[in-house]
Amino acid sequence: MCGIVGCIGRGEDTVDVLMAGLRSLEYRGYDSAGIALGPEMRVLRKAGELDELAEVVEANEPLGSYGIGHTRWSTHGPPNDRNAHPHTDENGRVAVVHNGIIENYAELKAELQETGVTFTSDTDTEVVPHLIAKALAAGDDPETAFHNTVDRLEGSYAIAAIIDGSETIFAARQGSPLVIGVGDECTYLASDVPAFVDHTRDVVFLEDGHRVIADTDGYVVLNEDREVVDVDVETVSYTAEATGKSGYDHYMLKEIHEQPTALRQCFSGRSDALEGTVTLEEIDEIPQPNAVQFVACGTSYHAALYGAVVLREMGIPAEAYLASEYALSPPPLSLGTLVVGITQSGETADTLAALRDAKSRGVSTLALTNTVNSTAARECDHAVYIRAGPEIGVAATKTFSSQLVGCNLLAEELVDGPRDLRPLIESLRNLPDDVQSILDTSAAEELVEEYGGSDAYFFIGRGTNVAVALEGALKCKEISYEHAEGFPAGELKHGPLALVTPETPVFAVVTGDDERAQKTLGNIKEVQARGAPVIAVTDGESDAAEIADETLMIPDTDERAAPVLANVQLQLFSYHLADALGRPIDKPRNLAKSVTVE
Amino acid sequence: MSNSPATDGSRPSSAVVLAAGEGIRLRPLTANRPKPMLPAGTRPILEHVLNALIDAGVDDIHIVVGYQANRVRSHFGPTYRDVPITYHTQSNQLGSGHALLQARDGPNGSFLLVNGDQIIDHRIVEAVSTAHTDAATLAVVEGPEAVDYGAVHLDGETVTELIEQPASGEFRLFNAGVYAFSQRIFETLEALSVERGELPLTAAIQQLIDDDHAVGGVRTDHFWMDATHPWDLLSLSRELLARGWVDAPAVDSDVFVHESAHVHPDATLVGPVVVDSDVVIEAGAVVGPYAAIGASATIGPGSVLRDVVVDTDTVIGPNTTAVEFVAGQGCEMGAALTASGGPADVVLDEQVYTDVDLGGVIADRVDVGGGATLEPGALIGPEATIGAGVVVRGHIDAGSEVVR
Repeated sequence: MCGIVGCIGRGEDTVDVLMAGLRSLEYRGYDSAGIALGPEMRVLRKAGELDELAEVVEANEPLGSYGIGHTRWSTHGPPNDRNAHPHTDENGRVAVVHNGIIENYAELKAELQETGVTFTSDTDTEVVPHLIAKALAAGDDPETAFHNTVDRLEGSYAIAAIIDGSETIFAARQGSPLVIGVGDECTYLASDVPAFVDHTRDVVFLEDGHRVIADTDGYVVLNEDREVVDVDVETVSYTAEATGKSGYDHYMLKEIHEQPTALRQCFSGRSDALEGTVTLEEIDEIPQPNAVQFVACGTSYHAALYGAVVLREMGIPAEAYLASEYALSPPPLSLGTLVVGITQSGETADTLAALRDAKSRGVSTLALTNTVNSTAARECDHAVYIRAGPEIGVAATKTFSSQLVGCNLLAEELVDGPRDLRPLIESLRNLPDDVQSILDTSAAEELVEEYGGSDAYFFIGRGTNVAVALEGALKCKEISYEHAEGFPAGELKHGPLALVTPETPVFAVVTGDDERAQKTLGNIKEVQARGAPVIAVTDGESDAAEIADETLMIPDTDERAAPVLANVQLQLFSYHLADALGRPIDKPRNLAKSVTVE
Repeated sequence: MSNSPATDGSRPSSAVVLAAGEGIRLRPLTANRPKPMLPAGTRPILEHVLNALIDAGVDDIHIVVGYQANRVRSHFGPTYRDVPITYHTQSNQLGSGHALLQARDGPNGSFLLVNGDQIIDHRIVEAVSTAHTDAATLAVVEGPEAVDYGAVHLDGETVTELIEQPASGEFRLFNAGVYAFSQRIFETLEALSVERGELPLTAAIQQLIDDDHAVGGVRTDHFWMDATHPWDLLSLSRELLARGWVDAPAVDSDVFVHESAHVHPDATLVGPVVVDSDVVIEAGAVVGPYAAIGASATIGPGSVLRDVVVDTDTVIGPNTTAVEFVAGQGCEMGAALTASGGPADVVLDEQVYTDVDLGGVIADRVDVGGGATLEPGALIGPEATIGAGVVVRGHIDAGSEVVR
């Protein structure tokens, strides 16, 4: 995934507006960046983080009264200068930025090469400026050339282009996010609202198939048939500053500390503790599904695993699927199945593809997301928001906690039948303070002094704590780059146990004192017998703390709420491990916040 | 636009807020958070301070944080009411002047300075802001508290002397702790040295006066209050409730209930009372007058609460009687707790305070078993566990377990 920006009507501020916009989209990728400016058709681009481009811009002082920009997360071709956007045609008359994947680019490239076009990059994007140039050469005016080119593209894309001789930005959306910011006598384009929210809060959320023609007089939105469509201008509420670090060293730590607030917001107004009921107004009307299929990726997939366990325990057949597998190897669907996509951004391409596949097969879909008006929220039949607030750190933290609470709310709303939810409600209401008490007292940082530098880190748990084990390992991998694996505790002896040595600490997530906890205690002894130190993450209900070598305590709570708390301890361990290793915690290598390519 | 005083270029629109200190005399409530984050009504004191600044037209806020800084940062984040906040860290608490120095790179031009642990009417801020012309301007209040806050010698509208520790009754004018400064204050502070572990702001102001810079004083009689001891949180809450300075909609003239709170139809709210978001008040409870119930707290059935501050996430069990009572965050209290109110003699830091109106203070995350009794003036430290039926007298240390 990548981020694109554009602006017209800002005169000599154009470069600053584009660079600030890219800065706020860095969470979408940071392999390389570039800008193109009209009417002089200046293109500056550079491999590496945005700071590298900023140096080039400072040295060259480019001028322009409108332009486009790009921050890249590589899909086609390594992150070097040559593959950085914007891409141009052979004469530098057309400059294009693109987020997404053009699936038929090989075919288009071959066709262009046959006519003698020389390609200078490995990207799929480069076909676009060449196609536009060819259409111009064939006599098309710039707008027609743009339309004719976009008509030929297959795949997912958000594209913005500028063409010499036309003081206009041309843009198109198909499957990748693109929004218009409506300013005073100026127009902004971007992959996401933060890119221009400093300048305007009036936003048009474009739909697939929409094309935008923006010039100094304003903008027009057209459909695929090039007919003008009416679009709504919405006013968004958040401010650009809502994405600052508030003095924390990293967004990740800030977001870990925001969890009490995020959890309070997620749960607020959605329960009646006096009546013992939970209400999600958004989906009050949905009948109880016969079965639930979750589709999600990464951390959200771990939340889906948790949600599926919760629903199964309530008697509803439920499974979690990796979204990237789901669309290509779809499981059978029966009528009355609800497909739930969990995606923080609401733009995750794999999850969107899985949801679209489910929808095309005639079942209801629901998005559990953090992002109001995201593509997932708009395309699904229903949307439930987790209200965690903006999350910038690439490694998801507070949104995972809120997704777990969201899964509980969803399950309780979907499943009929009278039951006393007061104990669950009490534990979910207590979560903010329980998390705060972990933040106030956690020993995770001291454990890093003891166990940093180990060969590998393993995480085990059973039931809903499987999700915590997998998430703990993923967090550790993502930000510390250390080898980490999570397993259902019982699965260890079927293979992974071969990896366990005295140099591989094992984190055992043990909450409550039921059979699952008891059996996990057995697994703790298994790894201790191989000399591995064990860190129990536990509420003290079982004997885990006594058996284990070290303990990360969590407050005693309901079994549904305990995984949220256990996970916070593991977040803190991974954070402090990565910090001790000097990793770029908010921008781990090769990763991007939300992945809008399949 | 033109009639808005905030657009007048000479008026400071930036403010520095000092919020780095623990507030030692408010222990044990400050175990996990600095004094500015203690509750005034249902919101942190600092939230009221920021409200006053923003209501007075401030659009750029700098907070100096230190002790338990994360609590401040995560509560407010990068903006509050759409006003950007910049955080400056004071690693060692070496006095108010040293704290202000940490924000040296913050505001451009003249700026306001207020304490994060002191509630002020926004009109005091406006008065100081409007009157500010030269090196420094401070708000001056008349009252008997000069002994506690430092007296001010005023000649017309010019401050001629600051008296740190005036003899009792000698002076009636004192420094209200609301200032406006030009950038010169930073140079003055840097020229001074930390003495006896402290660099007080007043030393720098005195230096300005000695160097013949104009230091203005603005007389004001608007509301102004801070908390020095744990029981002051009760009077602070009372004052705010009486003024309706609470962040929840009024359902009756002096009954304020957040939309997401659940109050049982058979429960009674007696104003002035404020009930914050997601609070649950069960059947038969009588809450108020002068009760502030923080977000997500639970008041059990049949409980009677009067003159209380209950902080967020705390559970008060059934049939509790609590009067002149302060509970921190995340406490769990069993059934039938009795805290029947003062007066009491309270010992704090080996000093005895007599006739204090205090039923008891419970710090964060205290567990209290059923049927326990707090003798007037009891202070329970954070994370303590009090067994069922225990009668608590005096001071219980943090984390301790009392079984009988």
